[in-house]
Amino acid sequence: MQVHLEKVSSKDEEQAVIKAVEITDEIRGAVELLEGDSKGFAVSKDGKTYIIKASAVYYIESVDKKTFVYTKQGCYDCKYRLYELEVMLGGYFMRCSKSMIINLQKVRNVKSQMSGRIDATLLNDEVVVISRGYVKDVKRRLGIG
Amino acid sequence: MNKLKIWLEQTMMISFAILVGIICEGVFYSIFMGDELSSFNLSWLQLLSIVLTGAVCSLPTVIWLTDLDIPKKKFILWQILHCIGLYVIVVLFGWLFKWYSHLDGFVVVSVIYFLVYVFVWVVSLWFHKRDDKKINKALNDIRDED
Repeated sequence: MQVHLEKVSSKDEEQAVIKAVEITDEIRGAVELLEGDSKGFAVSKDGKTYIIKASAVYYIESVDKKTFVYTKQGCYDCKYRLYELEVMLGGYFMRCSKSMIINLQKVRNVKSQMSGRIDATLLNDEVVVISRGYVKDVKRRLGIG
Repeated sequence: MNKLKIWLEQTMMISFAILVGIICEGVFYSIFMGDELSSFNLSWLQLLSIVLTGAVCSLPTVIWLTDLDIPKKKFILWQILHCIGLYVIVVLFGWLFKWYSHLDGFVVVSVIYFLVYVFVWVVSLWFHKRDDKKINKALNDIRDED
Protein backbone atom coordinates (compact mmCIF):
# COMPACT_ATOMS: atom_id res chain seq x y z
CA MET A 1 0.00 0.00 0.00
CA GLN A 2 1.31 3.45 -0.89
CA VAL A 3 1.52 5.87 2.03
CA HIS A 4 1.43 9.63 1.50
CA LEU A 5 2.48 11.82 4.37
CA GLU A 6 1.81 15.53 4.25
CA LYS A 7 2.79 18.03 6.92
CA VAL A 8 0.09 20.48 7.99
CA SER A 9 0.34 23.60 10.13
CA SER A 10 -2.41 23.00 12.70
CA LYS A 11 -3.98 20.14 14.67
CA ASP A 12 -7.42 20.88 13.13
CA GLU A 13 -6.11 20.05 9.70
CA GLU A 14 -4.84 16.63 10.75
CA GLN A 15 -6.67 13.75 9.11
CA ALA A 16 -6.00 10.27 7.79
CA VAL A 17 -7.66 8.77 4.72
CA ILE A 18 -7.24 5.06 4.04
CA LYS A 19 -8.26 3.71 0.65
CA ALA A 20 -8.42 -0.08 0.61
CA VAL A 21 -10.09 -2.87 -1.37
CA GLU A 22 -11.09 -4.61 1.85
CA ILE A 23 -10.95 -3.81 5.55
CA THR A 24 -8.33 -6.22 6.84
CA ASP A 25 -7.27 -6.71 10.47
CA GLU A 26 -4.15 -4.62 9.78
CA ILE A 27 -6.26 -1.73 8.51
CA ARG A 28 -8.66 -2.06 11.44
CA GLY A 29 -5.63 -1.95 13.74
CA ALA A 30 -4.29 1.16 12.00
CA VAL A 31 -7.70 2.86 12.35
CA GLU A 32 -7.78 1.96 16.04
CA LEU A 33 -4.34 3.43 16.54
CA LEU A 34 -5.21 6.62 14.69
CA GLU A 35 -8.49 7.01 16.51
CA GLY A 36 -6.90 6.26 19.86
CA ASP A 37 -6.34 9.85 20.76
CA SER A 38 -9.87 11.02 19.94
CA LYS A 39 -11.73 8.12 21.57
CA GLY A 40 -13.49 9.13 24.72
CA PHE A 41 -15.69 7.42 27.26
CA ALA A 42 -17.76 8.33 30.28
CA VAL A 43 -16.39 8.05 33.81
CA SER A 44 -17.57 9.45 37.12
CA LYS A 45 -16.08 10.85 40.29
CA ASP A 46 -17.84 12.26 43.37
CA GLY A 47 -21.22 12.00 41.61
CA LYS A 48 -20.08 13.99 38.57
CA THR A 49 -19.73 12.50 35.10
CA TYR A 50 -16.82 13.29 32.84
CA ILE A 51 -15.76 12.29 29.36
CA ILE A 52 -12.10 11.39 29.30
CA LYS A 53 -9.91 10.83 26.30
CA ALA A 54 -8.45 7.36 25.95
CA SER A 55 -5.02 8.92 25.57
CA ALA A 56 -5.28 10.27 29.14
CA VAL A 57 -5.71 6.81 30.64
CA TYR A 58 -2.75 5.10 32.33
CA TYR A 59 -4.46 1.87 33.29
CA ILE A 60 -7.86 0.41 34.11
CA GLU A 61 -8.47 -1.95 36.98
CA SER A 62 -11.35 -4.13 38.03
CA VAL A 63 -11.85 -4.60 41.78
CA ASP A 64 -14.87 -6.42 43.22
CA LYS A 65 -16.72 -6.16 39.91
CA LYS A 66 -16.19 -2.38 39.82
CA THR A 67 -14.08 -0.73 37.17
CA PHE A 68 -11.63 2.05 37.99
CA VAL A 69 -9.88 4.23 35.45
CA TYR A 70 -6.55 5.78 36.44
CA THR A 71 -5.26 8.97 34.82
CA LYS A 72 -2.69 11.60 35.77
CA GLN A 73 -5.51 13.54 37.45
CA GLY A 74 -6.68 10.64 39.59
CA CYS A 75 -8.99 7.67 39.75
CA TYR A 76 -12.49 7.51 38.24
CA ASP A 77 -15.34 4.99 38.35
CA CYS A 78 -16.46 3.55 35.08
CA LYS A 79 -19.69 1.75 34.19
CA TYR A 80 -18.08 -0.41 31.53
CA ARG A 81 -16.64 -3.83 32.28
CA LEU A 82 -13.01 -4.57 31.59
CA TYR A 83 -13.68 -6.76 28.55
CA GLU A 84 -15.91 -4.05 27.04
CA LEU A 85 -13.20 -1.42 27.46
CA GLU A 86 -10.62 -3.77 25.99
CA VAL A 87 -12.68 -4.00 22.80
CA MET A 88 -13.67 -0.32 22.83
CA LEU A 89 -10.20 1.10 23.29
CA GLY A 90 -8.08 -1.35 21.29
CA GLY A 91 -4.82 0.09 19.98
CA TYR A 92 -2.15 0.08 22.65
CA PHE A 93 -4.58 -0.78 25.42
CA MET A 94 -3.67 -4.30 26.45
CA ARG A 95 -4.85 -6.75 29.06
CA CYS A 96 -1.87 -7.16 31.39
CA SER A 97 -3.56 -9.36 33.98
CA LYS A 98 -7.00 -10.82 34.60
CA SER A 99 -8.09 -7.63 36.34
CA MET A 100 -6.15 -4.92 34.53
CA ILE A 101 -5.78 -3.16 31.19
CA ILE A 102 -2.66 -1.09 30.63
CA ASN A 103 -2.02 1.72 28.16
CA LEU A 104 1.34 0.78 26.67
CA GLN A 105 1.86 4.37 25.55
CA LYS A 106 2.07 5.38 29.21
CA VAL A 107 4.77 2.89 30.15
CA ARG A 108 8.17 4.41 30.88
CA ASN A 109 10.08 1.14 31.07
CA VAL A 110 9.78 -2.53 31.93
CA LYS A 111 11.85 -4.96 33.96
CA SER A 112 11.44 -8.73 33.81
CA GLN A 113 11.35 -10.74 37.00
CA MET A 114 12.73 -14.27 37.26
CA SER A 115 9.21 -15.54 37.79
CA GLY A 116 8.45 -14.53 34.21
CA ARG A 117 6.22 -11.59 35.02
CA ILE A 118 7.16 -8.06 34.01
CA ASP A 119 7.10 -4.97 36.21
CA ALA A 120 6.03 -1.97 34.15
CA THR A 121 6.82 1.51 35.47
CA LEU A 122 4.32 4.06 34.22
CA LEU A 123 4.93 7.73 33.49
CA ASN A 124 3.48 8.58 36.92
CA ASP A 125 6.04 6.22 38.55
CA GLU A 126 3.41 3.67 39.52
CA VAL A 127 4.47 0.09 38.93
CA VAL A 128 1.98 -2.38 37.49
CA VAL A 129 2.51 -6.05 36.86
CA ILE A 130 2.24 -7.65 33.44
CA SER A 131 1.42 -11.28 34.24
CA ARG A 132 3.49 -13.90 32.47
CA GLY A 133 0.40 -15.17 30.63
CA TYR A 134 0.00 -11.79 28.90
CA VAL A 135 3.67 -11.03 28.19
CA LYS A 136 3.51 -12.68 24.78
CA ASP A 137 0.47 -10.60 23.72
CA VAL A 138 2.21 -7.41 24.82
CA LYS A 139 5.32 -8.31 22.81
CA ARG A 140 3.18 -9.14 19.80
CA ARG A 141 1.37 -5.80 20.06
CA LEU A 142 4.71 -4.03 20.15
CA GLY A 143 5.80 -5.93 17.06
CA ILE A 144 8.52 -7.95 18.72
CA GLY A 145 6.65 -11.19 19.49
CA MET B 1 0.46 -25.18 22.85
CA ASN B 2 2.41 -22.48 24.65
CA LYS B 3 3.16 -24.85 27.54
CA LEU B 4 4.28 -27.56 25.15
CA LYS B 5 6.67 -25.08 23.54
CA ILE B 6 8.09 -24.05 26.94
CA TRP B 7 8.44 -27.73 27.91
CA LEU B 8 10.34 -28.56 24.70
CA GLU B 9 12.57 -25.47 25.06
CA GLN B 10 13.36 -26.31 28.68
CA THR B 11 13.98 -29.98 27.79
CA MET B 12 16.45 -28.97 25.09
CA MET B 13 18.19 -26.44 27.33
CA ILE B 14 18.54 -28.82 30.30
CA SER B 15 19.59 -31.81 28.14
CA PHE B 16 22.18 -29.67 26.39
CA ALA B 17 23.50 -28.38 29.70
CA ILE B 18 23.78 -31.95 31.10
CA LEU B 19 25.64 -33.01 27.97
CA VAL B 20 28.04 -30.07 28.32
CA GLY B 21 28.49 -31.03 31.98
CA ILE B 22 29.36 -34.62 31.06
CA ILE B 23 31.78 -33.46 28.36
CA CYS B 24 33.45 -31.15 30.91
CA GLU B 25 33.67 -34.10 33.30
CA GLY B 26 35.35 -36.21 30.58
CA VAL B 27 37.82 -33.44 29.75
CA PHE B 28 38.52 -32.94 33.47
CA TYR B 29 39.27 -36.64 33.98
CA SER B 30 41.43 -36.62 30.86
CA ILE B 31 43.54 -33.62 31.92
CA PHE B 32 43.81 -34.12 35.66
CA MET B 33 43.37 -37.87 36.14
CA GLY B 34 45.25 -38.98 33.05
CA ASP B 35 42.34 -40.86 31.47
CA GLU B 36 42.50 -41.46 27.74
CA LEU B 37 40.13 -39.05 25.96
CA SER B 38 39.36 -41.79 23.42
CA SER B 39 38.08 -44.02 26.22
CA PHE B 40 35.38 -41.45 26.94
CA ASN B 41 32.14 -42.47 25.21
CA LEU B 42 28.40 -42.31 25.67
CA SER B 43 26.00 -45.16 24.99
CA TRP B 44 22.57 -44.62 23.45
CA LEU B 45 21.01 -45.45 26.83
CA GLN B 46 22.99 -42.67 28.49
CA LEU B 47 21.94 -40.21 25.78
CA LEU B 48 18.33 -41.31 26.22
CA SER B 49 18.64 -40.88 29.97
CA ILE B 50 19.95 -37.31 29.46
CA VAL B 51 16.96 -36.37 27.28
CA LEU B 52 14.54 -38.09 29.69
CA THR B 53 16.06 -36.27 32.65
CA GLY B 54 15.77 -32.98 30.76
CA ALA B 55 12.11 -33.69 29.94
CA VAL B 56 11.18 -34.70 33.50
CA CYS B 57 13.10 -31.81 35.06
CA SER B 58 11.24 -29.39 32.76
CA LEU B 59 7.84 -30.56 33.98
CA PRO B 60 7.90 -28.81 37.39
CA THR B 61 8.96 -25.59 35.66
CA VAL B 62 6.11 -25.81 33.18
CA ILE B 63 3.53 -26.88 35.78
CA TRP B 64 4.51 -24.60 38.67
CA LEU B 65 6.19 -21.61 37.20
CA THR B 66 4.05 -20.80 34.18
CA ASP B 67 0.63 -20.53 35.84
CA LEU B 68 1.43 -18.79 39.08
CA ASP B 69 2.16 -15.14 39.44
CA ILE B 70 4.29 -15.52 42.48
CA PRO B 71 5.20 -12.42 44.49
CA LYS B 72 8.91 -11.60 44.51
CA LYS B 73 9.48 -12.69 48.13
CA LYS B 74 7.69 -16.01 47.74
CA PHE B 75 9.51 -16.67 44.50
CA ILE B 76 12.81 -17.24 46.32
CA LEU B 77 11.15 -19.99 48.39
CA TRP B 78 9.68 -21.50 45.20
CA GLN B 79 13.10 -21.33 43.62
CA ILE B 80 14.71 -23.25 46.49
CA LEU B 81 11.94 -25.88 46.45
CA HIS B 82 12.26 -26.10 42.66
CA CYS B 83 16.03 -26.62 42.91
CA ILE B 84 15.67 -29.34 45.57
CA GLY B 85 12.81 -31.02 43.65
CA LEU B 86 14.87 -31.22 40.48
CA TYR B 87 17.88 -32.47 42.44
CA VAL B 88 15.76 -35.36 43.75
CA ILE B 89 14.72 -36.19 40.16
CA VAL B 90 18.36 -36.11 38.97
CA VAL B 91 19.53 -38.31 41.85
CA LEU B 92 16.71 -40.75 41.12
CA PHE B 93 17.47 -40.87 37.39
CA GLY B 94 21.19 -41.16 38.16
CA TRP B 95 20.45 -44.20 40.30
CA LEU B 96 18.08 -45.71 37.68
CA PHE B 97 20.46 -45.23 34.75
CA LYS B 98 23.59 -45.99 36.76
CA TRP B 99 25.28 -42.61 36.29
CA TYR B 100 27.16 -43.29 39.50
CA SER B 101 28.09 -46.39 41.47
CA HIS B 102 30.21 -44.86 44.24
CA LEU B 103 30.17 -41.77 46.41
CA ASP B 104 32.68 -39.86 44.24
CA GLY B 105 30.43 -40.39 41.19
CA PHE B 106 27.47 -39.17 43.19
CA VAL B 107 29.39 -36.03 44.18
CA VAL B 108 30.37 -35.37 40.54
CA VAL B 109 26.72 -35.78 39.42
CA SER B 110 25.64 -33.41 42.22
CA VAL B 111 28.22 -30.78 41.21
CA ILE B 112 27.18 -31.08 37.54
CA TYR B 113 23.52 -30.73 38.58
CA PHE B 114 24.11 -27.47 40.45
CA LEU B 115 26.27 -26.08 37.62
CA VAL B 116 23.54 -26.97 35.11
CA TYR B 117 20.89 -25.38 37.32
CA VAL B 118 22.85 -22.14 37.55
CA PHE B 119 23.61 -22.26 33.81
CA VAL B 120 19.92 -22.63 32.88
CA TRP B 121 18.91 -19.73 35.12
CA VAL B 122 21.73 -17.51 33.88
CA VAL B 123 20.64 -18.19 30.29
CA SER B 124 17.00 -17.45 31.26
CA LEU B 125 18.11 -14.21 32.91
CA TRP B 126 20.03 -13.26 29.80
CA PHE B 127 16.90 -13.91 27.68
CA HIS B 128 14.86 -11.72 30.04
CA LYS B 129 17.39 -8.87 29.81
CA ARG B 130 17.41 -9.13 26.04
CA ASP B 131 13.59 -9.03 25.94
CA ASP B 132 13.56 -6.01 28.29
CA LYS B 133 15.83 -4.11 25.93
CA LYS B 134 13.61 -4.93 22.94
CA ILE B 135 10.40 -4.00 24.77
CA ASN B 136 11.83 -0.76 26.15
CA LYS B 137 13.04 0.23 22.70
CA ALA B 138 9.58 -0.47 21.24
CA LEU B 139 7.94 1.49 24.09
CA ASN B 140 10.20 4.48 23.40
CA ASP B 141 8.81 4.61 19.87
CA ILE B 142 5.15 4.71 20.92
CA ARG B 143 5.31 6.63 24.19
CA ASP B 144 2.71 9.32 24.65
CA GLU B 145 4.28 11.80 27.10
CA ASP B 146 1.85 13.86 29.20
